[in-house]
Amino acid sequence: MKVNSESILKVSELTKSVQLEGKTLSLLQPVNLQVNAGETLAIVGSSGSGKTTLLSILAGLDLPTTGEVYIKNQPLHQLNEEQRSQVRAAHVGFIFQQFLLINSLTALENVMLPAELANIENAKEKGIKLLEQVGLSDRLEHFPSQLSGGEQQRVAIARAFISQPDILFADEPTGNLDTKTGKYIADLLFDLNTRLGTTLVLVTHDPKLAARCQRQVQMDSGLLKEVFNEKENTSDINHLTQKADDITDGEIIEQDKGQVCSN
Amino acid sequence: MFKLINSTWFKQSLRLLHHELRKGELTIVFLAIVLAVATVFSLTGFSDQVKQALTNNSVNTLAADRVLKTNTVISKEIKAESDGYGFNFAQKVELRSMVFSNDDMLLTDLNFVTSQYPLRGELLISKTNDLQETLSVKSPEVGHIWVDKSVLGRMNVSIGDQVEVGVATFIIDGILVNVPDRSFASVFSNPTIIMNRDDLEKTELIQPGSRVSYRYLFSGNNEDLIKFDEWVKPKLNDTQRWIDVKSSQSRIGRTLDTAEKFLSLASMLGIVLAAIAVAVASRRYGQRHKPTVAVFKALGATNKHIQKVYVLHWSLLSVISILTGLIVGYGLLQLGAYGIEKYLSLSSSTLTLRPFMIAVVTGLICAVAFAIHPISKLIATSPIAVIKGFEEKTSSKLNIYQAIPLVALFLLLYLFSADFVMSASLLFGGILVSIVLLYFGKFLMGLGRSAGTKAGKSLYLAMANLRRRANENSVQLVSFTLAIKLLLLITVMKSSIFSEWQQQMPEGTPNHYLVNITNAEVPEIAKFAENNSITTEGFFQVFRGRLSAINGEKTVRVNNETQASSDPKEGKNDEQSEGRRGMGRELSLTWKDEISPLSKIVSGQWWDVSDTTPQVSVEEGAAERLDIKLGDQLTFTIGSDEFTVPVTSIRDVNWQSRQLNFIMVFNKATFSDIQSTSLSAWRVSPDKKPLMYEFLSNYPSISVIDIDAIMVQLTTMIDQMSVAIELILILVVLAGSLVLVAQVQASMEERERELAILRTLGAKGALLRNSVLFEFVALGAIAGLMASIAMEIAVFFLQTQVFDMPFSLHLDFWLIGIGAGAAFVGVIGMLSCWRLLSLSSVTLIRRTM
Repeated sequence: MKVNSESILKVSELTKSVQLEGKTLSLLQPVNLQVNAGETLAIVGSSGSGKTTLLSILAGLDLPTTGEVYIKNQPLHQLNEEQRSQVRAAHVGFIFQQFLLINSLTALENVMLPAELANIENAKEKGIKLLEQVGLSDRLEHFPSQLSGGEQQRVAIARAFISQPDILFADEPTGNLDTKTGKYIADLLFDLNTRLGTTLVLVTHDPKLAARCQRQVQMDSGLLKEVFNEKENTSDINHLTQKADDITDGEIIEQDKGQVCSN
Repeated sequence: MFKLINSTWFKQSLRLLHHELRKGELTIVFLAIVLAVATVFSLTGFSDQVKQALTNNSVNTLAADRVLKTNTVISKEIKAESDGYGFNFAQKVELRSMVFSNDDMLLTDLNFVTSQYPLRGELLISKTNDLQETLSVKSPEVGHIWVDKSVLGRMNVSIGDQVEVGVATFIIDGILVNVPDRSFASVFSNPTIIMNRDDLEKTELIQPGSRVSYRYLFSGNNEDLIKFDEWVKPKLNDTQRWIDVKSSQSRIGRTLDTAEKFLSLASMLGIVLAAIAVAVASRRYGQRHKPTVAVFKALGATNKHIQKVYVLHWSLLSVISILTGLIVGYGLLQLGAYGIEKYLSLSSSTLTLRPFMIAVVTGLICAVAFAIHPISKLIATSPIAVIKGFEEKTSSKLNIYQAIPLVALFLLLYLFSADFVMSASLLFGGILVSIVLLYFGKFLMGLGRSAGTKAGKSLYLAMANLRRRANENSVQLVSFTLAIKLLLLITVMKSSIFSEWQQQMPEGTPNHYLVNITNAEVPEIAKFAENNSITTEGFFQVFRGRLSAINGEKTVRVNNETQASSDPKEGKNDEQSEGRRGMGRELSLTWKDEISPLSKIVSGQWWDVSDTTPQVSVEEGAAERLDIKLGDQLTFTIGSDEFTVPVTSIRDVNWQSRQLNFIMVFNKATFSDIQSTSLSAWRVSPDKKPLMYEFLSNYPSISVIDIDAIMVQLTTMIDQMSVAIELILILVVLAGSLVLVAQVQASMEERERELAILRTLGAKGALLRNSVLFEFVALGAIAGLMASIAMEIAVFFLQTQVFDMPFSLHLDFWLIGIGAGAAFVGVIGMLSCWRLLSLSSVTLIRRTM
């Protein structure tokens, strides 16, 4: 199959199933999706709908049961763990709900990590610059345990952008933060994304966050359906936003300082 | 090199190590390796030094480090080889001869010594009759002799007088007070005279056919001596015997042997404990680094990259720990040496490379073998964990990876002990015990639950937790149990060795033997002892005689060049030769009405006092060796008399006691018309000594043998060993405690998440604290119970197989095991838990995600 030269991510007929007590449990129904360079896409859906499973396959962390996934024309479904690591180092960035900073490295060292792994030069300078951009220029030598949740996620954002990935996957980036901090982080994420022209795939519960993306797809029991597209002006959105609002309000947990990635 | 230092993985690895070391995240694993190395280094070094020092201190029972005993002059080759090593060398020629003075004559044991004699220990003489002032001397001058005090009385001579030995005349120059290599057997033999070796030819005593025995004495550097041993042993013929302290079969040799075995055992257990600590800590290291590896991988790090980062990280950590361990170990060693300096001079012993090498190899083996499984699992962490989380099921199933540490542990033990059987039995015993414990522990925890339901909420929660986590807990339980078991084992062995040693020296142990008391003198001597409240063991009539036939079959004289013993135990050493096996030498025979309280009949019956039929009771060991059965007819020759008696009983004799023991004991009727003298053993306090000597000067024919010097030596040695063992025990306890701390710490991490949830759900701090406390106390107590059982089994094998002691139960130590297990595990668990429970719920949740 020929892949559109503009497409960064291309998925066709992708399924995932697991064996559980002798029975086959289907997590993803055949999924087809294409994300073009510079696009921002939100994957929404309720808990257990399969959005995180999808994200892990898209990012090359996991393999599909059947079907094809391409990132920058690289067939992830045919690659082994090592080769997928190299694809991730070269093309992929991550932001996690639990920040997942490495506890024994400083903020700056955490940010430098992907750049070092991708053999990008001047990792340190780039790291400092990015931390300045997320407003943490005075926190370079702090360890994650010395930072608040919001600060940790800002470090994680800086880390995600340092290698200038072709595509950035964000898994509930504001899910562990209070509303105000969450909004600040979201602003920062979209701001940097726009400036650097990165393709963004975002998994979220938060309809407001999803609404900032150009496209929204919804996972429902392993089925993916496009609900909104800025260009095509698909408009299932009002109904969806309303539905999502009902769930999210109760889910924001007040957070204070702490650490996540224990090692 | 520059490329290496500049490579990403190198920098990242150093960065992680630097920060983690500073933040104390690697403390437990660091401490585990440090302790493994330090324990092994100090234990090995310390026990090596103690062994050396003890050997040095006790070789004076030989008056040398090695003795070659022979009936002929040795080849020049041996002397030349010895000179090549630069050994000190002395010679002693022993023969038996009459000495004359005026009309008196006496059969004596003559010892001709060269000017270097003795090489070890002190030869003490006194120039006055009261023996108050003593001089430490080498050989007497040419023409002069030193004699046992009894020679003076029995020959009516005094210091300065002349006696004739062979065809030459000599001046008595002093009285022998201590002869370092005087054999215990000589107590029952003739008085000793020490002369200069250069006077031997002058006496013309050596003629063709004379019975002469040569003792060649060597002393020098221990390592050279070991090489010399190997060189000389194959060159010896059947009549020559190579003797060192241990082979001398003396009581001191045995004590030393037990002590050495114990030190080795303690050190081996120390190694096992330290290895367990490293295993526990490295497993924890693997688990704690999982999130880092998952994030590294998610961000694009390849397996190869992670491998390099962690191999370097672990290697550097190991090297730092091993170096620190060596420094700490050296410090401990010095501290130990300082601690026992007062009791035992280590100055003469040197620190060899051996402990250093063993410690480094131990560190490396621990670091590689015990970490290979956790680190390979760590490197294999899937990046999907960043999404799915880092939960891991603890598996209690054995797999091939677990074989690597076991093989390594065996290597370590073997490397250390060079004893295949002991290493293998420790290892397989350990594995077997672990497997049994795994299931037994689950069973006990199951019982705990039903008990818990009837108790309060905290207890219920604790028991429910125990049960639910039975799989994880049983693994922990095994390491708790092993640690407690090893500690108990070492304590029990220590106290049983101590008490065995103490038994050798009970209150009132005789320190003087009175020999050659005529039957007429016995009442007066006995009265003197009673009037001065001197403890005696009564008077025994002693006959010197030979066992000449068994059931009419003549016994064959066996080679008896092996009797260098300072042990009153008779006839222990004999070799197989043709004909009916006999004792091969004269025995001290006696009669008794009552059996000695320290002996017991194993077959047959002790005679009735009124029974006038001659009969004999035989010591069990001798009966076995000579294949003597109840009812056998034994023929004895005393001088020209010969008589035959039936064996009516076989006795077990406690040779460890310092009481007077005899192999052949007869009833009184047997000796009704045979002439004899009597023997007695006395406990004389120092203040009564002069009085005793003064009194006995009226009985010149009685020989007094003072064995105080030997006793003091033995007591001192036991004290020294006790201190050394106490110190080693402390080190082993430290190693054991670290295992417990490491294990509790690791298990607390597994509990964090649950605590967080319970806390969030509103469980009160007190409830959680109590439930954690109960859980750990229960775990500790179960571990203590299982440890006690396992210890008892291990002690059974050690006592019966290794230390050659009788087996005994140690129920008091069960209480200690259970109590200490519960208290220690409970307290450590509580301390770790306290820290967790003082954190807010949110922090707790955050920490555990």
